Amino acid sequence: MEQITTSLAPPRSSQKVGVAGSTSDASGSVTKRLSSELMQLMMSSSPGISAFPKSDANLFEWVGTIEGPTGTVYSGLTFKISITFPPNYPYVAPTIRFDSTCYHPNVDLGSGAICLDILQDKWSAVYSVQTILLSLQSLLGEPNNASPLNPEAAGMWDSPSEYKAKLMSHYSPPSDAASA
Amino acid sequence: MATPAVQSFVEEKWQEAFKNLNRGEPGISGLMTISEAWRIASDFLRPRPLSEPRPRYNAHEIKAAFDMLAHTKLLYTVLENFLDDMHQQEYLIKQEVGEYMSRYEETDDPQVIAELVYRLVDWFNAWHPLAEYEFSSLPSIWRADDQNELSTSLGHIVTDHFTVAFHTHIYSILPPSFSRGFKALVSSTLPISYDDMSDSPSPDTFVWDSFFALGLVERYESLIASVCYEHIEDYIREVCAGQWSERMLADVRLWMDSRMLPWMRLPYARGAKDLNEATKMMSGVKSRFDYHICKVLCDLRTSEIFDIIIDFPDSKPALEDLKECLHRVDQRSILVASLRKANKKRLLHPGADTKDILAQYVSIIKCLRVIDPPGVLLYKVADPIRRYLRDRPDTIRCIVSDLVGDSENGTSLVDDNDPLVPLASRDVEDYTDSTWEPEPIDAGPDFRTNKPGDIISTLVSIYESKDLFVKELQVLLAQRLLNVKDGNYEKERRNIEILKVRFGEAALQVCEVMLRDMTDSRRTDQHVQSQKPSLLHPVIISRHFWPTLQTGTFILPQRLRAIQEDYSREYTAFKPDKKLVWLSHMGSVKIEVELQDRTLEVDVPPVSAAMVELFSERDRWSVDELIAQMGRIDRPSVMKGLLVLVDLGILKEEETDHYKLLEVAEEASADPGASRSAAMDELPGVQTAQQQQAEQMRVFWRFIEGMLTNLGALPLDRIQNMLKFAPGYDRNIEQLGMFMEAARREGMVVAKDGMWRLNR
Repeated sequence: MEQITTSLAPPRSSQKVGVAGSTSDASGSVTKRLSSELMQLMMSSSPGISAFPKSDANLFEWVGTIEGPTGTVYSGLTFKISITFPPNYPYVAPTIRFDSTCYHPNVDLGSGAICLDILQDKWSAVYSVQTILLSLQSLLGEPNNASPLNPEAAGMWDSPSEYKAKLMSHYSPPSDAASA
Repeated sequence: MATPAVQSFVEEKWQEAFKNLNRGEPGISGLMTISEAWRIASDFLRPRPLSEPRPRYNAHEIKAAFDMLAHTKLLYTVLENFLDDMHQQEYLIKQEVGEYMSRYEETDDPQVIAELVYRLVDWFNAWHPLAEYEFSSLPSIWRADDQNELSTSLGHIVTDHFTVAFHTHIYSILPPSFSRGFKALVSSTLPISYDDMSDSPSPDTFVWDSFFALGLVERYESLIASVCYEHIEDYIREVCAGQWSERMLADVRLWMDSRMLPWMRLPYARGAKDLNEATKMMSGVKSRFDYHICKVLCDLRTSEIFDIIIDFPDSKPALEDLKECLHRVDQRSILVASLRKANKKRLLHPGADTKDILAQYVSIIKCLRVIDPPGVLLYKVADPIRRYLRDRPDTIRCIVSDLVGDSENGTSLVDDNDPLVPLASRDVEDYTDSTWEPEPIDAGPDFRTNKPGDIISTLVSIYESKDLFVKELQVLLAQRLLNVKDGNYEKERRNIEILKVRFGEAALQVCEVMLRDMTDSRRTDQHVQSQKPSLLHPVIISRHFWPTLQTGTFILPQRLRAIQEDYSREYTAFKPDKKLVWLSHMGSVKIEVELQDRTLEVDVPPVSAAMVELFSERDRWSVDELIAQMGRIDRPSVMKGLLVLVDLGILKEEETDHYKLLEVAEEASADPGASRSAAMDELPGVQTAQQQQAEQMRVFWRFIEGMLTNLGALPLDRIQNMLKFAPGYDRNIEQLGMFMEAARREGMVVAKDGMWRLNR
């Protein structure tokens, strides 16, 4: 019941859009939302995706892990991403980048920026970290070659063996060292 | 070469001596008389073998001879001569002693020793210079009643010299094995029977006189004492061991007075003229033995203490004895050590039931309060028990179920007569207490007095906080409430009221709500039924106030589901802001089963009812098919439901996991399964506090997994900090460490250099 009232209540934080969006300024409801998303993510057992706040001091910076879906060229590979939530989340989409080098038509090889519609204009407050991660996972296997950030990859997509070789030359498995 | 001066000096002395000896008699006749007197005296005194009779001398003659010698101051020389003779004759005694001792070593009969003693007394008397003669016939200087002090003392001196010399000889003769024989002899003179109080002891005075004559009492004093000690020990062991229902100390003391004291008068109060004097002489000895009684009894009770506690309250007299003994004998620390050891060996091991441990703990509390009201002993003994109980998972449950009078065996830890008092709050000194006493001297620095008698407080204080109890209480109450079928909650209400006094109103508020839920649901049900009668009578509980109930969702058969839905609708109409979430697997269903030859009317769990529905469609089902039909349900629940029906004779297991409907009743074979469902029938599915905790830990594990996946290896303190994201996380870092250690043993994580990471 509480859940419902919060989402029905006028979004107080939305009034602060654009105003000094420092994390400390974020209202409690954002924190609450992020906490419950974390809980939801932890308790759901979606294979191959996971995320967690980077440090206990800041709930707005997360680290995520995505395993390549089986049956695709990315199968068996693991990628790290970073997720940064804006202070007016969930009315504005989080910023997501690949930390691991990811050779993919919709990922910028240098910066790790991602071209995914739900992270840009198609964002909606009903999405959550979990849905983003799931979308990213499926994006790995099904790139949108129409709007590539990495045209070379997009061009090579149809010849899997070459693509795989190229992918592997860029890939390095994430180290286990603490990343904070 | 002697000078003339020396020569004349010697001559002068010689003359003087001669004059002295001759006493001015003519010629040397004086000397002759002296020499005759010497002969008579030394012959009279000479020690001889017993076989050789002492020459009979005329008393007058002897007297004259001794007088003569006394006058010439030769008495001492005679005496020395006599002692020398004695030394030479010593071998006579030695021979005999040797004979007796070898006889004793063969037979081991203390009587031989007695004979030996008598024989030695014979020797003693035979050699005694003053033995045979009347005092009056003795030389006046040896006579005690003479006015002349010098002569009086001289008489004593002779006797003393003789006695000392004789004793010395005997001591040197007696072999080491004599002491053993002597001890046996002494104990043989003890009053034999322990409990035969009727015949007054006839102490063997003669033997004791002989002992005294020979100086054996002084020499073997410690031996005699040890005989007494051992006798007392034996007596106490025999009479008191295992006798806890009576006070024994007084009896033992009575026995001591009536049996031992008359005997002890022989060695310890010799020469007392009457009883009063004897008592006076014995007072020191008596208190020494009384101490020994206390010590022995104390030792005995200390060794029995564990069983005494088990027997409490029947063994209370024994405890009072022990208390009295401990006052005299300072063995409190021994008692504590002994009880702690016994507890460790007999109580605090995995084989003991928590219930038994608690019961014994309560008995210990009560018993040690008897012995030591301030509770110092208790504190020292209880500490390991409490620590052990804290580690047992079901301690709280046991205490709580006892609090609400749920114990199966009917023996309650808590006496119903105990006054109801709020839990004692600790660490509060009452500065206005006029009966304040300082802490006992052997109290440890962390000693804390508990108010005597408040056992519940003591039990609850095993744990740091009483919240745990309240939580467990809630679980227990939930089980009991859901088990009540006839709608009579009076007993539970009474329990809650009682517990409110102890735990305080606020702590039990949740329980209040639970109770009210039960009565409210009945009212609600009445209302709903009045709107639209339904077969369903649900119990409506407030989820937030109840412990987590086991969720088991299975698909109800259509007919039952329809009833549920109807009810839900009515309910929502009655309370628009609320919605029912059904826990279909709980409760019971009254069904009527019509079969070909019979009609059964039974109360069964919903799962079984659903099965009956399924069996009405088809006669045979396998377990797997049933699971498929009923949706989300686990196998044990299905089996349980099936067994209920099998027990009722509705179903039969044809082959493993295949069941068949019995349209025609079969003769129930001597049914081994009759109790199967009964055995499985347990309290309704309320999660215990323990299960809840495990459930929580599972949530936390997900978080740990998540952070280790994404952040790589982490040190323990980071994990601890990060876990604050997990709702309801309240563990400290030690607990987390233990949990991680457990996870490591399961192979889920690995630790290296203090960094934890997932094992993949």
